[in-house]
Amino acid sequence: MAQPLDRAPLLNFIVDRLNVGVFVINKNHEIVLWNHFMQVHSNRKPEEVLGKNLFDAFPELPRTWLEKKIQSVFILKNFAFTSWEQRPFLFNFRHNRPVTGGVDSMRQDCTLIPVKEEDGAVNNVCITLLDVTDTSIYQNMMKDAMRRLDEASNRDGLTGIYNRRYLEQALSREFGRVKRYDGTLSLIMIDLDHFKRVNDQKGHLAGDEVIRRAAETLNHGVRDTDTLGRYGGEEFVVLLPQTKIDGALILAERLRGLIAAEPIMYNDDPIAVTISVGVAEMNADIASHEQLLQHADEALYESKKNGRNRVTSYRPIGS
Amino acid sequence: MTIKPLTADQKDALQEVLNIAMGQAGDSLARILDAFVALSVPRIRIVEVANLGKTVVEMVGENIDVSAVRQAFYDDLRGEAIVIFGQAGCRDLADLMGYDTDIDADAEHELLLDVTNVLVGAILNGITETLGTELSFTAPSIMAERRPIDTIITPENLPWTHALLLEVNYSLENRAFKSHLLLLMAEDAIESLRKAVNDFMESI
Repeated sequence: MAQPLDRAPLLNFIVDRLNVGVFVINKNHEIVLWNHFMQVHSNRKPEEVLGKNLFDAFPELPRTWLEKKIQSVFILKNFAFTSWEQRPFLFNFRHNRPVTGGVDSMRQDCTLIPVKEEDGAVNNVCITLLDVTDTSIYQNMMKDAMRRLDEASNRDGLTGIYNRRYLEQALSREFGRVKRYDGTLSLIMIDLDHFKRVNDQKGHLAGDEVIRRAAETLNHGVRDTDTLGRYGGEEFVVLLPQTKIDGALILAERLRGLIAAEPIMYNDDPIAVTISVGVAEMNADIASHEQLLQHADEALYESKKNGRNRVTSYRPIGS
Repeated sequence: MTIKPLTADQKDALQEVLNIAMGQAGDSLARILDAFVALSVPRIRIVEVANLGKTVVEMVGENIDVSAVRQAFYDDLRGEAIVIFGQAGCRDLADLMGYDTDIDADAEHELLLDVTNVLVGAILNGITETLGTELSFTAPSIMAERRPIDTIITPENLPWTHALLLEVNYSLENRAFKSHLLLLMAEDAIESLRKAVNDFMESI
């Protein structure tokens, strides 16, 4: 039969040796308990800190904020928390992954616990400090992988600019924003002229190179706030948030000029390339983002019909 | 699962409990923030989960972007609190919560988490103290950041059909800050609350 244990020394031992930082402060912020974890990582023995004001002993702590937090625990008699994701640490401790870590100091999740007396009064606050360095490293790795995956799934393989999937998402998002908050939005649709001829006469590798280089030139031509993507085979779309038709036409004309200015070199063979462009602006009558695309497409068709290498602004039929 | 509606007596008692709780919460918040916090009279209702998204839009307003923080509570009562913040007044709060003058994105997140913890703690402690129940809390976490209000709650992800919704609005005197607090208790938790309210009615 197991001997009944005396609980108090056992609990004392556990709190002291737990692989978690545990310390307690009273209403004057004086430290009244300091466990082994805190001792080892702060390099301060209990006899050096007990009875001392927390902020005198550790002047590097974010005092104003932490005092407020502690005060809220005393007043509300309620838990409070800090998370490494917003505040990497409370105490600047070293962690146990000096070689494989990749972070500079121990990441900590802290919980502030009101120590309730039998009568319900709270005279002390217990603070626990969890070493979550490992978790933070894995989470950062995962976030990084997710970001790269996300990025890859938004990009066109040949040109590296955005793909159709992303363009449609971005367009739908922008469209929703304009519908909700006013403002405006313009769309440029671009098609390489006589692209089939390049493919037929120079081969598909030359065709690929033309698309790649044209995308590069367009990418240099658009503004940082614009979204350029490859919409289909030799078709590109530029999304211009908060831009009226006048501004969109200026940009479209610039893009047309940039492409027409220089032939694309393929194996020392110059290939002359031009683009036909259609431009449309959002207005209150446009019910869906597909309709805006349709308008730009119709304007693009006008450019083709009128001899290519030109920019056309959308006009409703009959106007 | 069908939910027995709260009886008129139960609803009255719960409203009374909440009014007492609001008084205590307002007092606690004023002491923490050194500012007067106006709390609305709480509204209680049982909602169908399918309508929850729409209900939230009606409460907060259409076509606005909001940030939202959630925090779970458990023990005698079980549920989740959601605090919805508009974009105005973040700066005001930062002052009151002891933050430095320049706050970056991480500090803003932490501020929302801190404020949520305090608001939720104040309200729920007020309720549990009055009802004589016990509660524990998880750490709050960010649900949504600057997202359209109608995308915050997506009922298809929720495993229950009815919830008790308790709504309180907060504002700070002379400051732009406003927020909405929703307490949601799922079906099984409504029965625990009903029992606690019945016990409370017998005790007075």
